[in-house]
Amino acid sequence: MRSFFKLTLVGSCVFSLASAQAAEVPKHIDVKRLSKTVEDVVVPLPNEIFGALNKLDSVNWKEFVRTNKGTNFTERPRIALLLGATIADGFIAVQAEDAPSVREIGQRVVRLAKGIGVGNSIVPHAKAITEAADRRDWVEVRNELDRTQNSVQQAMNEVHDEKLSQLVSLGGWLRGTEVLTAVVDRHFSVDGAELLHQPDLLEYFQRKLANMAEFHVPLLGQIRSSLVEVKPIIETDNPISAASVKKINQITSRLDEGIVTRLQ
Amino acid sequence: MRLTVFSTRRVGWLVAAALALPAVSSRASVDDAHSFALEAAEPYVKQGYQIREDYWGGDLGATEKKAVRQQLFKGNDYWFWMGTEVEQAKVSVHIYDSDGKLAEQTDSWQKGHFAAAHLVPKATGSYFIIVTVDSSSEDRTHWALVYGFK
Repeated sequence: MRSFFKLTLVGSCVFSLASAQAAEVPKHIDVKRLSKTVEDVVVPLPNEIFGALNKLDSVNWKEFVRTNKGTNFTERPRIALLLGATIADGFIAVQAEDAPSVREIGQRVVRLAKGIGVGNSIVPHAKAITEAADRRDWVEVRNELDRTQNSVQQAMNEVHDEKLSQLVSLGGWLRGTEVLTAVVDRHFSVDGAELLHQPDLLEYFQRKLANMAEFHVPLLGQIRSSLVEVKPIIETDNPISAASVKKINQITSRLDEGIVTRLQ
Repeated sequence: MRLTVFSTRRVGWLVAAALALPAVSSRASVDDAHSFALEAAEPYVKQGYQIREDYWGGDLGATEKKAVRQQLFKGNDYWFWMGTEVEQAKVSVHIYDSDGKLAEQTDSWQKGHFAAAHLVPKATGSYFIIVTVDSSSEDRTHWALVYGFK
């Protein structure tokens, strides 16, 4: 844990209660008294979901390693989305234990971070990723990928680019969800589909996107409308069906295609 | 209300300058609390838990509580570790499911200015992590909460 400096201070997602009864832990609390907002939620890492998925079934992660090196963008919101998706690709390559891809992704992350003006903050992490991949120390590569994302976002926050930082998280979440749904679609299980039950995260991203009117990037509009489409599917209290998984996969694949190519 | 040290950017240079000093001071203390939370987490790294770089932090008065809502996944095993730099303080952390039912495992623990809560989720979804400063020698006590999973 190298970075002790990122403050993800809880704001809207926190609440204050009246005096506490410290000695006795209440067995039940009234959640209706809590704020419904998920401000400053810590967005799960892709491997947090992939790890849970791995415990359900064996997954051939090599199928999901992306070889496309991506497009060079000049629009900062697009670079931020691609950066998040590329870091997620790093986690996929780690799942596949594909050292050459991990090294290549590490270099790609540096290029993207430079494009957004925060390259210096992650050069040491990219070097550490390469060294750990050479040693096939996958635990360390995972830790360094988390540090990389954290450093990029911290650097963005320090120059008041919080919205770009949120787009990095969004790009990673979309890519992670695309792969999650692809895996579950191939070998459907109710437990696998349940991993999609993330309504608060979706709401969190919707709220952040709603506050990005200054970014005139058509892709962001498409992501906004797609999340509206996805929300009722994963908000259900009933088990998520195979058809729903397929639909979310189609939506997130389309968005990911938009993130990595210049078509949008 | 978002409480980051960067939130002064919209209120102009003068106000920003006036706020800069206390903001820096506050940041340093939450960083200290973060170091203690990581100290609580450190033994678990050897057990295979990946500790996240992101964390939550702030300050609370004695007996005050705060809640963090977090997405957790069935199949994973989670620990949340809380710490404060105020050594005379007593803190605690507990995990509730989305219905408000206490969900943590029985090996969750509290020891002075450290506390930890363990959860193996029975369902994927949102959970509430409630942090409390039960008692403290300070009016406001900085706290930090980190989590790890395997």
